[in-house]
Amino acid sequence: MLSQHTIRRRMAASTPLVLALGLLAFVLLATTMGDRATARMATETLIRVTLVAGFWIFVGNSGVVSFGHAAFACVGAYVSAWLTLKPAMKGTLLPGLPDLIAAADWPALPAVLTGGALAALLALVSGAAILRLSGIAASIATFAFLAMVNTIWANWTPVTGGTSSVVGLDRYVTPWVALGWAVAALIAASLYGLSASGLALRATREDEVAASASGIDRYRHRLLAYVLSAFFCGVGGALMGHFIGVINPDAYYLNLTFLMLAMLVVGGIGSLSGAVAGVLALSLAVEGLVRMEKGVTLGATTFALPAGSQEIIIAAAMILVLIFRPAGLLAGREITLPARWVTGRGTTHNGPATDRRET
Amino acid sequence: MVLALEQVGVAFGGFRALTEVSLAIPPGQVTGLIGPNGAGKTTCVNTLSGFQRPGSGRVLLDGADISALPAHRMRRAGIARTFQAGRLFGGLDVLDNLACTGVGLGQRRAEAEHAAQDLLDWMGIAALASRPAAGLPYTDERRVAIARALMGAPRFLLLDEPAAGMSEHEAADLAALIRRIAGERGIGCLLIEHNVGLVLSVCAQVVVLDGGRVIETGDRAAILASRPVREAYFGADQAEAA
Repeated sequence: MLSQHTIRRRMAASTPLVLALGLLAFVLLATTMGDRATARMATETLIRVTLVAGFWIFVGNSGVVSFGHAAFACVGAYVSAWLTLKPAMKGTLLPGLPDLIAAADWPALPAVLTGGALAALLALVSGAAILRLSGIAASIATFAFLAMVNTIWANWTPVTGGTSSVVGLDRYVTPWVALGWAVAALIAASLYGLSASGLALRATREDEVAASASGIDRYRHRLLAYVLSAFFCGVGGALMGHFIGVINPDAYYLNLTFLMLAMLVVGGIGSLSGAVAGVLALSLAVEGLVRMEKGVTLGATTFALPAGSQEIIIAAAMILVLIFRPAGLLAGREITLPARWVTGRGTTHNGPATDRRET
Repeated sequence: MVLALEQVGVAFGGFRALTEVSLAIPPGQVTGLIGPNGAGKTTCVNTLSGFQRPGSGRVLLDGADISALPAHRMRRAGIARTFQAGRLFGGLDVLDNLACTGVGLGQRRAEAEHAAQDLLDWMGIAALASRPAAGLPYTDERRVAIARALMGAPRFLLLDEPAAGMSEHEAADLAALIRRIAGERGIGCLLIEHNVGLVLSVCAQVVVLDGGRVIETGDRAAILASRPVREAYFGADQAEAA
C-alpha cells in the first residue's frame, strides 16, 4: 500500500507533464486554427512561460519577491545578440565590443544557452550579496540591482548600443522552439520543487527561525534557486530578442518586471501551475483586448474600444483577482494527474484532478 | 559529552537578561530549567541553540567553544530545540515538516522522508503524516514539533515550555515521551516548564533561574528544600512563613 504522501509526491511529479501537454495543445490550436497574429501571440506567450517559470523557481519557493529578474533577461538577450550578430554589423553598431566577441558568429542555440549561463553567473555574484538580507530588504535590493543594470545598459553605448535598439537578430524562435524552452523551464522548475533544496527553501518561506533550528542554511538554498531562476530568465530574454529581432534596454525594465510579477500573482505564487495559468490568462486577455481596440467588425458596423482601455481593463481585472482570490487563480494548487493514475494499480482513491500542493 | 553554559552574560541594551549563568546538560537524562516569568529561561535556550550570541562567557559542547556558531550550524552539531509557539511549517504536511530537518542536515529527500516516517512511527503519530501542519490540534502540533527536532539523532534537545496549555493528562503523556527520548535515545534534554510538578517528576537535575541568575541547582529534594527558590516563587514573606 502506497502511503498518501508517496501518492502525492508522484502526483506532484506529474505536474510538468500535464502542463507541457496543455501548452502543446495551445500551440497546436494557435498554429492550425488561428492566423499569423495568433501564432505570434502563442510564441510570445510560450516565451513568457519560460520567463515566469524561471522566475517562480526563486519567488515561489523562497517567498521573496524579486524585482531584479528582468535584468537577467536583459543580460541574456544582449549576450545572445553579441554572439550571433554578423561581425560586420557589430563593427558599426557596437564598436566597443572586445575583439573575441566582435568576431563571434555563433548560431542561435548555443548563444541563447550562453546568455542564460551568463545571467546565472551574474545572479551568483549579485545574489551572494543581496540574499544575505532578509525578506523585504532583499526585495528592495533586487530593485536597486535592476535599476543599476538598466542604467549601465542605457549608457554603455559602445558595447550595448545605449538606448537605441540593437537590430538584426537572427529570428530563430518559432512556436516550436518556444514550446521546447517553455517545457524545459517547467521540468527544471518542477524538479527543483521536488528536490531537497526546494523543500528546504520552502521551509524558510514558511518560517525562517524554525528553518534555522532545522539546520537549514537559508542563504545557500536561496542562492541556488536564484541562480537557476536567473538562467531561465536569461534564456527567456534571449528568446524575446530572437523572436522580435530587435532589443533595447527598456524592453527589459519596469514593464517586463511588472508583467512577470502580475502573471505570477494572478495565477498564484504558490504553485508552478499557477505561474503558467497566470501567463496564459494575462496573455490571452491582453491579446483579446488589443484586437478589440483595433476594432471588431460585425456586419456593417465596427466596434472598437478606445485606445488605452486594454491597460485599464487589465489593471481592473488584477485588482479584482487580488480582492476576490488573493492567493491567485489556482490558489497554490498544482494541476496533476489523478491519484488513481499515478499509483500504478487499481486503488480505491478517487483522485481529484487538482490536489492541494504538498508544499 | 556535555552541553554547557559557562559564566554566560546576555544584555539587551541596559537590561541584563542573563548574568554569569553556568549550567550543564549531561547526556541521557533530563535537566529542568525553571524560574518565574522573565527569569531568562528562553534566553538560555536561545543562547544554547545559536539564536542569541552570549555577550560574555561561552557555550561549550564537549569542552569546545561553540558560542559563535549560527543557529543552523548548532543544529548540525547536534543541538536541537523546540519553540514555545510551535513554529511548524504551516503550508507543508507533517511528514515534510520532519523531512525539512532531514534535508537541512544533509540527507537526500527520499532518505529524509524515510527517516521522518520511522520517527512518526516511534512517536505513535504516523497517522498524521499527510496532514497539513497548519490546523493541527494543539497537542499534535507539539508532538510534531518534538518529532521534527528529533530528526537526525540530535545529542541534545532543548524543550521550551512544551506542556504550556496542556491538561494534566496530556502533560503526563508528554512526561512519558520525554523520559523515552532521554532513556531510549540517550539524548540530553533541557526542559523549560512553568509546570513545576512536571519538571520535578521527570528531571534528575533542576536549575532555577531568577532575574537572570542561577539561584539554585540540584535534585528534586534540594530544590524543594531551597530557601532562595521559595523566595523567588512565593516572595520573602511567604518563604518566612513556610
